[in-house]
Amino acid sequence: MTRVLGWLAALALLAGLGMAFAVAPREATQGTVQRIMYVHVPSVWVAYCAFVVVFVASIAYLATRAEAADRLAHASAEVGVLFTGLTIATGSIWGKPTWGTWWTWDARLTSVAVLFVMYVGYLLLRGMIDEGERAARYAAVLGVVAALNIPLVHFSVLWWRTLHQPPSLMKPGPSSMPPVIVRALLVNFAAFALLYLYFVAKRVRLLRLEGEAGA
Amino acid sequence: MGDNWGFVLAAYALAAIVLTGYWRHLVRRERELNAPVAGHPPGAPGAPPRQQ
Amino acid sequence: MIFARRAWSVVWKDLLVERRSKETLNALAFFSLLLLFVFQFALGPDRERLAAALPGLLWLGFVLAGLLGLGRTFVLERENDCWEGLILAPGDKSAIYVGKLAANVTLMLVVEGLILLLFAVFFNVDLAPALTGLALVMILGTVGLAAVGTLFAAMTAQVRARELLFPVLLLPVQVPVLLGTVKATEAVLLGEPLGAVGHWLGLLAAADVIYIVTGLLTFDFLLES
Repeated sequence: MTRVLGWLAALALLAGLGMAFAVAPREATQGTVQRIMYVHVPSVWVAYCAFVVVFVASIAYLATRAEAADRLAHASAEVGVLFTGLTIATGSIWGKPTWGTWWTWDARLTSVAVLFVMYVGYLLLRGMIDEGERAARYAAVLGVVAALNIPLVHFSVLWWRTLHQPPSLMKPGPSSMPPVIVRALLVNFAAFALLYLYFVAKRVRLLRLEGEAGA
Repeated sequence: MGDNWGFVLAAYALAAIVLTGYWRHLVRRERELNAPVAGHPPGAPGAPPRQQ
Repeated sequence: MIFARRAWSVVWKDLLVERRSKETLNALAFFSLLLLFVFQFALGPDRERLAAALPGLLWLGFVLAGLLGLGRTFVLERENDCWEGLILAPGDKSAIYVGKLAANVTLMLVVEGLILLLFAVFFNVDLAPALTGLALVMILGTVGLAAVGTLFAAMTAQVRARELLFPVLLLPVQVPVLLGTVKATEAVLLGEPLGAVGHWLGLLAAADVIYIVTGLLTFDFLLES
């Protein structure tokens, strides 16, 4: 039931806020600004999950032509773009006091920015095709291409930023984050994930209604 | 490094605005799409109900 | 079956290269010359600045020319009402993709060679020692550009605002190719051995494989109606 999902998400978000401000300690090096991470990081995790869903739903659509798969892909892409935009914005707000600049071409921000532009393009493509069946098919192909491109973007941007160093830096070692911070991140991730599910459920229902109304 | 509470609040406020904004957009759109079904003559979504 | 498919691709490729060499190649050649002027005016007369920016400028030129050339992949079919012909073509439609891809790569490499020549002449850069390295990078990068470009050209051919949508869709996807080719070109022009940028070349090769396989698998879906 979508409504239950909505209430769960709201509760989880409150819990997440609590973790972010009350439970998690003030971080030593960055100070209070670090608390933005509790929005920024779960946001990007959810965004990546959303685009994986777009990938799977796109393949499912091409294989089965089930309209439900198309609606899922569309909804997930839209919510994914939302969270990606949020990631970039919160990352930028975090960056200003930390690095002294609103934007920097660091590996993560750049990768996310490319991700954002790719999937905005996906939504634009959908917007520009009127025939529902063709829009579904073409968007599905684009959904597949975009998803397969994500690892290529990730590595190319990462190497681009680490200049002349050899790619042994590919896998940064596990950072030793205090468990309480990890817990706060996970609670917020769960909250954002629930919110994502709620949004997608509502959006899919909207798409179904729009389809029936012939809008 | 200073405390920078302003930035933290800005980030969380932005998240709140964006997420509630999207939620309200979804709810409003759903209401619009459900309205014609509730007895009004089928018209464009958002068309005002006829005055009787 | 495979032979028929390959033969068909080659026939397509020849037809297309021949047809296009009349309009597209000439226009792109002239466009390359104009790009050169524009880059010069944008960056000013300082030779060192241009030399430093050379790898990036080179690939900017290739990408811009590529956007124009690739965007026209299906323009003949569309303008002459031949789209249905493509849809109704029997057999595996990915043969069309291969044919168009081969034609595009050929055309683009010719134009890129021209741009390279113009750069060498106008900016007085000696490219001779780096030629083999450059050629390798150009082939890897161009295949990547064309593999996705041909697919997206089919995708946007029948869509509103296709001239806008095509670059908007292609450019983000090509970020890895752009990064890889510029970095590799940089190294090649500095005289470094290719081994130093082996990881970039590997990435470009992997991208090419992924893009072509995806194109082969999904092209059919674009030509259903």
